[in-house]
Amino acid sequence: MKNKFLKLPIILFFIILFIFFYLLIIDRNPAKVPSALLNKNVPIFVTKTLVKNEKFSSSKEFGDQVTLVNFFATWCKPCKDEHAFIMRFSSEKNIKIVGINYKDNPKKTIEWLKKLGNPYSNVALDKNGKIAIDWGVYGIPETFIINSRGIIKYRHVGAITPKIYKKINLIIKEIE
Amino acid sequence: MAPTLGNLALWLSLVFAGSQFYNTRKKNKLKIISISVIGLLISSLFSFFLLIYLYVISDFSVLNVFQNSHTTKPLFYKITAVWGNHEGSMLLWIIVLTIFNYFIFKLYNKKNFIFVSKTLEIQSFITLGFIVFTILTSNPFERMVPVQENGLGFNPILQDPALAIHPPLLYIGYVGFSAAFSISVATLVLKNGKNFPWYKYMKPFVMVAWTFLTIGIALGSLWAYYELGWGGWWFWDPVENASFMPWLLGTALLHSLIIVDKKQSLQAWVLLLSILAFLLSVVGTFLVRSGILTSVHAFALDPTRGIYILLFIAILGGYSLMLFSSKSKIYSTKNYFNFFSKEGSILVNNIIMVVACATVLLGTIYPLLMEALTGNKISIGEPYYNSTVVPIMLPAILIMGVGPILSWGKESVLEIAKKVSSVFIITLAMTIIIFSIYKSYTFLGIAGIVLAFWIIFNNLTTLYRNKFNNLTGMVVAHLGVGFLMLGITASSIWQVEEIIKMKLKSETEINKYQIFFNEINEIKGSNYLSLRGDFLVYDKGKNIIAKLKPENRFYPVTGNFTSEASIHTNLFRDLYIVLGEGNINEGWTVRLYYNPLVVWIWIGAFTIFLGGVISINKSLKRMPK
Amino acid sequence: MLNNIFKVIISILLIQINMSNCNAVEPDEILNDPKQELRARKISKNIRCMVCQNQSIDDSNSSIARDFRILIRSKIQEGSEDKEIYKFLVERYGDFVLLKPPLKSNTVALWFLPFIFLVIGILVILNHNKKSN
Repeated sequence: MKNKFLKLPIILFFIILFIFFYLLIIDRNPAKVPSALLNKNVPIFVTKTLVKNEKFSSSKEFGDQVTLVNFFATWCKPCKDEHAFIMRFSSEKNIKIVGINYKDNPKKTIEWLKKLGNPYSNVALDKNGKIAIDWGVYGIPETFIINSRGIIKYRHVGAITPKIYKKINLIIKEIE
Repeated sequence: MAPTLGNLALWLSLVFAGSQFYNTRKKNKLKIISISVIGLLISSLFSFFLLIYLYVISDFSVLNVFQNSHTTKPLFYKITAVWGNHEGSMLLWIIVLTIFNYFIFKLYNKKNFIFVSKTLEIQSFITLGFIVFTILTSNPFERMVPVQENGLGFNPILQDPALAIHPPLLYIGYVGFSAAFSISVATLVLKNGKNFPWYKYMKPFVMVAWTFLTIGIALGSLWAYYELGWGGWWFWDPVENASFMPWLLGTALLHSLIIVDKKQSLQAWVLLLSILAFLLSVVGTFLVRSGILTSVHAFALDPTRGIYILLFIAILGGYSLMLFSSKSKIYSTKNYFNFFSKEGSILVNNIIMVVACATVLLGTIYPLLMEALTGNKISIGEPYYNSTVVPIMLPAILIMGVGPILSWGKESVLEIAKKVSSVFIITLAMTIIIFSIYKSYTFLGIAGIVLAFWIIFNNLTTLYRNKFNNLTGMVVAHLGVGFLMLGITASSIWQVEEIIKMKLKSETEINKYQIFFNEINEIKGSNYLSLRGDFLVYDKGKNIIAKLKPENRFYPVTGNFTSEASIHTNLFRDLYIVLGEGNINEGWTVRLYYNPLVVWIWIGAFTIFLGGVISINKSLKRMPK
Repeated sequence: MLNNIFKVIISILLIQINMSNCNAVEPDEILNDPKQELRARKISKNIRCMVCQNQSIDDSNSSIARDFRILIRSKIQEGSEDKEIYKFLVERYGDFVLLKPPLKSNTVALWFLPFIFLVIGILVILNHNKKSN
């Protein structure tokens, strides 16, 4: 009796090992967390814009066309690294690109954008990181793709790499 | 030259381990086996000492030294840096394996040739596995070109005596269970294992492993307590769980061995436990090192290491568990215990330890299983363990108070009540006294304090009554658990915290102590710069009790900042102070903690260690000659 | 490159550290009302710092943990219940943000297995005890 009873734990043992094996070989980053906001509406918020210090209202900005939202800051190095890709999106694609400037100095940001080019049709200010929390952001740069009905379809944490660039292109094509 | 020699020695140890495996398997002559065993010991020690030498002379032509050392590092930390990284620690793991291997070899006598040979065969297989792993995936002697002028140093937060010496202690623990594993497998392979006193051979190894694992874990948590800066000392981190799981099983194993030794029952159970204890040690190593839990993949590191260890676990686990399921039958006896007896209490504790261990394992791997199966990610942190493992462990501690004074066989409830009545009264009195001082009541708090005094006084009276006998080790260890409980409970329920901005020459108060911020200075350490605050602590009568000097250090080599807490300890409380950020105008953030009775955690751990050492000594004397 | 290797090595060290200068709750965050502050601390202890290994936002000195703490406190001051605050965070960060996973269909095993282990254990003991009488 005891021996039969023991077979189960042995099978379980191997199943767990197999799951570990699976996790090791798949392309996975243990530090990344899937977004809870996928397929949900864009969070509603109101803030100021970077350039003219005007009112920025999320309900007006999102939901009329496919939009790429990029959380960035001048003090964040990966943001600088990925900037070229954002520029490419703005020149190659017919989408709206909104930047959200995370915990930054507006003056510095304006200069930064002058130097590196400004791909954003509008930049919203997130002075204390509250908007970022609303979006479930935890590590900038982060990029979101929003469809024309204002629903979040994709989210990427970290700098855009050539691989992610291709992926985003595909997603834009899909939802357009 | 030296790196090549080191590499050569490592390869040589591979050859010796292979030859030990072959010769013990073929049951060749003792002389041939002894050459392999001693050769293995010497060659692995030699390669280890060569690596230490390379660190001492800062030979940056070796990648491992370059990555983990720096010329400005004090000599002591150059040496301990050897095992402060993955590759070097694997080498340490190997030498501990070969040392235990040597001690198994020393078990040979006229009557046990087959048994010890089998054990050595298994042990050499394990050793082979780790040597191959080290050579293939983690060779510490790997060279690098071009040779750099200086190394990358290593994380200054690790530059600490308690942390520096705790890995070797932990490894003695993990690897000690390898000997128990080998003995267990060898016993199962043997035909007449049932009548062979294999458990007498196993016991000292388990004692050593468990004792050192205990002190290793304790030093790790002591380090966390004073280094991580908020008075916590246990975080249910996967790294901690990896050492805690084998400890729990080791505790169960240790106690079951007493029953086996006395009554020859529970043999199958002990064989299983000793297999699982070592498997869990390796699984823990896998979880910590494979990067499956942390973001190693972010740097596109190949998963070979993890896959190798996994394969090794599959072989070891698959073989030993199958063997157990087919051979264990002859070891299981229909021997039933009375609940109110020594063996009954040990059995109950055993079950609780195993259940607790299973729960910790569940909590550690559940997020991984869930991610693989559903793609969702969850976190399992302290609150989960506090609401599962802690209540599971409480009854074990209650029983621990009574267990040792119960007799073998059967005991009447009345008899027990008589034995413990005086202790019961003292416990009650002490609890009332202590709660009248601290005046904060929670269910867990009261339970913890009652249990702590319960264990302390039960064991103190036993110690007093029995003088020094062969139970002393156990009683001392149990007393240590009582102290530990006292420290854990008191510091977690009565901690007082104060976080404020303090300007120079200002004053604050924490639990009847006045803290005066006297001055702040820049000082230069051996390889760091530091901002040090000077705080004066006054008691109610305005007497200076202590000068506390918390520091904020900056290590230019790695660009790290660390914060060094300053602690004033006595038997009743710790005053713990951490300096935060700030400047002369606005003042500095200061964190003050009043941690009651916290020192008893480490007094307790050390007492357990002491009890362990006494018991090791005893069990060595009882080895079959 | 070497720097990256170094980071890898550090991250797979025996002891994983992700806190350099440990300053969790800062004095300017603390609420005046001790009752509200206590609630905030209690919630903070159950919320995971998203960028840390295994730390609550109460223990972490990362800037995002600080944002979380401030947010929780402002929600408390606005009169939010604890439940609403948890819900707010879970909606944005998923269950990952909770250090104590909620009981759901996918965590049933997590919460009930320890109990089942215990029951099996008790059965083993009872089995042993009964037959001896």
